Amino acid sequence: MTFSEGVQLVSFIILTAIVLGGAAGVVLLRSMVHSAFLLGLVFIGAAGLYVLLNADFVAAAQILIYVGAVNVLILFAIMLVNKRIPTDRPVFSPRNAVTGLVCAGLFALLAVCIFQVPWQIQEPVAMNTVIEIGKRFFSEFLLPFEVASVLLLLAMVGAIILAQREYIPDRAEGEPEPLALPERPRDEVDTTPTGRR
Amino acid sequence: MNIDLAALNAGALWPEYIVTITLVVVLLVDLISGRKASWSLPYLTLLGLGIATATLLPMWILENPVSFLGSFTADPLSVVFRAFILISAALTVLMSVRYINQSSLATAEFYVLLLGATLGAMLLSGSSEMAMIFVALELLSITSYLLSGYAKLDKRSNEASLKYLLIGAASSGIFLYGMSLLYGFSGGQTQLTEIAPRIVDLGFPALLSLVLVVAGICFKLSAVPFHQWTPDVYEGSPTPVVAFLSVGSKAAGFALAIRFMTSAYPGFSEQWQTLFVLLAILSMVLGNVVAIAQTSMKRMLAYSSIAQAGYVMIGLAIGTQEGYSSMILYIGTYLFMNLGAFMAVVLFSLRTGTDEITAYSGLYQKDPFLTLVLSLCLLSLAGIPPLAGFFGKLYLFWAAVQSQAYTLVFFGLVTSVASIYYYVRVVKLMLVKEPSPQVLGYSEAGDQDGIQTLKAGMLITTVATVVLGILFPPLISLADTSLRATPSLQQVRTATPVSRVSTGAEAPADHGR
Repeated sequence: MTFSEGVQLVSFIILTAIVLGGAAGVVLLRSMVHSAFLLGLVFIGAAGLYVLLNADFVAAAQILIYVGAVNVLILFAIMLVNKRIPTDRPVFSPRNAVTGLVCAGLFALLAVCIFQVPWQIQEPVAMNTVIEIGKRFFSEFLLPFEVASVLLLLAMVGAIILAQREYIPDRAEGEPEPLALPERPRDEVDTTPTGRR
Repeated sequence: MNIDLAALNAGALWPEYIVTITLVVVLLVDLISGRKASWSLPYLTLLGLGIATATLLPMWILENPVSFLGSFTADPLSVVFRAFILISAALTVLMSVRYINQSSLATAEFYVLLLGATLGAMLLSGSSEMAMIFVALELLSITSYLLSGYAKLDKRSNEASLKYLLIGAASSGIFLYGMSLLYGFSGGQTQLTEIAPRIVDLGFPALLSLVLVVAGICFKLSAVPFHQWTPDVYEGSPTPVVAFLSVGSKAAGFALAIRFMTSAYPGFSEQWQTLFVLLAILSMVLGNVVAIAQTSMKRMLAYSSIAQAGYVMIGLAIGTQEGYSSMILYIGTYLFMNLGAFMAVVLFSLRTGTDEITAYSGLYQKDPFLTLVLSLCLLSLAGIPPLAGFFGKLYLFWAAVQSQAYTLVFFGLVTSVASIYYYVRVVKLMLVKEPSPQVLGYSEAGDQDGIQTLKAGMLITTVATVVLGILFPPLISLADTSLRATPSLQQVRTATPVSRVSTGAEAPADHGR
């Protein structure tokens, strides 16, 4: 084993430990804030694994998007909601046992699958990944790349529509509720008007 | 790397460009002229959809369907499904005008999101490469989530949107897992047809990816057991959105299912056909049985749409030429009868503010036109003889008998008989019973702008439901031609000799109505 292979092996072990430990912590910890921070750690660990696979651009994008945007958003959401979760629930409940069983089954299936497939191993080639990705985007992945821009535009329009504050005029008795379905709710027992402000 | 622009064959996507342009124009018109021009937006949208349909028709059979270096395949199969999606989007616009006005929802953004969903669905029915499939699927899904939560001050709409988002995201993840396995198995291929020869000998791992992919697709089709979101989302979303989800988005899902299965898994046809046999039987049985117990019209139509998806899956499960062609025909007839039923539901709920089934009783005395439309559409969904739905089902079952799928035919027939009960119950309520309080207070006095377009849509769908039944034989040959000219379906062709029927004259006949 050469020196570089040794370094790679050690860093692989460390990164895997970070990812696995972090993921277990996300699921098992009771506090949502702790889980969210550990999720960030898992993302960073995965970015490290991408670096080991010579995918430097993907690693940078992973840190920027997942840690920088997604995870921060999750933290914001948690802090805004600020909901206390009862901490006395046992970790080993029947429900968690079933979930664990399903996950173990899925893991076994995937593990069997991984060892059965004759994977085609690619020799590492020195190349500038950013340039390569750019070339792909403007050749074989041109259409998905362009459609993604439409997707982003629509997501933005939709987000604005959802977040925009509505000006609701006073309505006369008997007029339809604004910004609600015209069908009345089925159980009229619930007398509070549906979803006011 | 030099790219020859002609090699992109970008002209095959003109209908999609026009939909995108319409989307931007609607957004800009709203931005510049604001409220003054908001009445014109639905008609602008209709115009765009019409032009897109007009550009789609000449592409019926292209010399070279492969476009954007294999990302998109504009073969006749995709043309048929894109036409279905465009028509269902146009009919959805017709029924939204009054609905949007009356619930004072934002006008422009609704049509923009609807056009986005249309674009995603159209791209999905032609994508033949995994990155493209995923982007198109997400475009369709994200706009659908937004549309279903569009009545944002209504808790039911919030719930619908959130449920749809969560379950949709989970199913996207499953689908993505299946696709990433395929990417790895095939040594880094993303083209479906390139993947097929590389996974033929894999056995179990390929089947695992097959199961994951089918699960992801079946969420879009809302096939049992991936249907749990359907009733709640259908109940809580604005009704025009439900209409589009139940027809346009489902048609795209079926196009994706046909293409994915026949292009990437031709070596496992027995396995995926067995899967779809199971899914079809479960959907037909559960959809029809649970629909009987519903008291809300929208929920009943939700379960009915699950059952109808089960019937369509018969065609996919038998996997013959006749199977696919009967699938296409059934989706074509389902489009009109289901949208017609939803239009009637929209009109009724706008006038009475309810969608309880019992509220429909005695409607005949107040509004014969609405009663006629709803009755014809429901009877057609039930498969009563002179209407289009009957011939669609007949052809499906005939195709299944041809390939000796007697179990499927048995379940199909038994559940059809059960379905007649709940469809006819509504018809009987409207015709025979005494008027309900809601119907007694029913008046057309409050009708304002937008009711005319809704009525026009009802007329179109009803006429189509009646006339398509008479025109069935030419439609069958049309569907057959479109399948014969689709390269990815060539390996499933039956022993019948290939005869390319000239289609120039027939193509407009399908889309004209």
